[in-house]
Amino acid sequence: MTDFQALILALLQGVSELFPVSSLGHTILVPALLHWTNIHRANPTFLAFVVLLHLGTALALIVYYRARWLAIVRALVTSVIRGRLSDDRDERIGWLLVVGTIPVGVLGVLFEEPVRTLFASPAPAALFLALNGLVMFAGEWLRRRQLANPSRADRPIEHLSFAQSVLVGFAQSFALLPGISRSGASMVAGLLCDLDHEDAAEFSFLLATPVIFAAALLETRYLVAPGAHVSVAFLMRYFRSNDLRPFGWYCLIAGVCCFILSKRGFLS
Amino acid sequence: MKPLALLLALVFFVLGALYGLGTINVLTKSGTEHAHHVSHLVVCWVLALLALVWYRFQSSANGARH
Repeated sequence: MTDFQALILALLQGVSELFPVSSLGHTILVPALLHWTNIHRANPTFLAFVVLLHLGTALALIVYYRARWLAIVRALVTSVIRGRLSDDRDERIGWLLVVGTIPVGVLGVLFEEPVRTLFASPAPAALFLALNGLVMFAGEWLRRRQLANPSRADRPIEHLSFAQSVLVGFAQSFALLPGISRSGASMVAGLLCDLDHEDAAEFSFLLATPVIFAAALLETRYLVAPGAHVSVAFLMRYFRSNDLRPFGWYCLIAGVCCFILSKRGFLS
Repeated sequence: MKPLALLLALVFFVLGALYGLGTINVLTKSGTEHAHHVSHLVVCWVLALLALVWYRFQSSANGARH
């Protein structure tokens, strides 16, 4: 991989990671579209490079939510010292994040090897990207049905149950597949647990931080992907009044187009 | 549930140690075996730690009841 290619992939990942469009899928599809045949996507070093790119995203998330993280960590430590759970909001969110991180941590380690084989060809990434679009449409459709039910109302993050947090964390695990968006999958799960778009996005970003950070640190080297801080600020404003459907259209169209191009031999 | 929490902590700790030593290789066959083992070790020990936290919360809850 040349320096230019690494720079392009870093910029692409930094900007797209937090959007629900699967940065991982794009990291597979863009080199294939550009016929960068010198990049061997199934090679372990390529996966390590991709994981390292995520470190920039994790740092951006920590900076953006620094006050929140500080309060959460303080509340978690206090509750462990105290030896019991309280009604503190930050403490509750902290334990929800801990519990929600377990599924992706375990599944990520156990299935790293089988998932890596999917990196070799752009066709699975294209298919998963299209599927990601459909999942977002389905999530929005189910969400609208929920809102039509007067007995159900939006709830704040801290009112999620631990089981629901595990569900959101499990949904996040599907992002191990290239083409499935981590934030998209966890946001859809959050919406189905009665969070509104803004809270679902916030919980998704908070949930992503520890696992991205841990995965990147395990790869031992260091690389910062710029753009993620701008993305999270934009998205938090966007989800105050908008939904996932524009990203769903993008994923569906891009995924189907890339899959057709792949089958016709236009992707390397 | 307290014995279960302790048992889980012990199991995860031992599993992590075995992965770290390279004694067990379940789902670790790859080109970067060493890194794989470290990942498994870290995850197992984090789970062991969480099981201990769970144990602590239960101990305090029982103490409060008495």
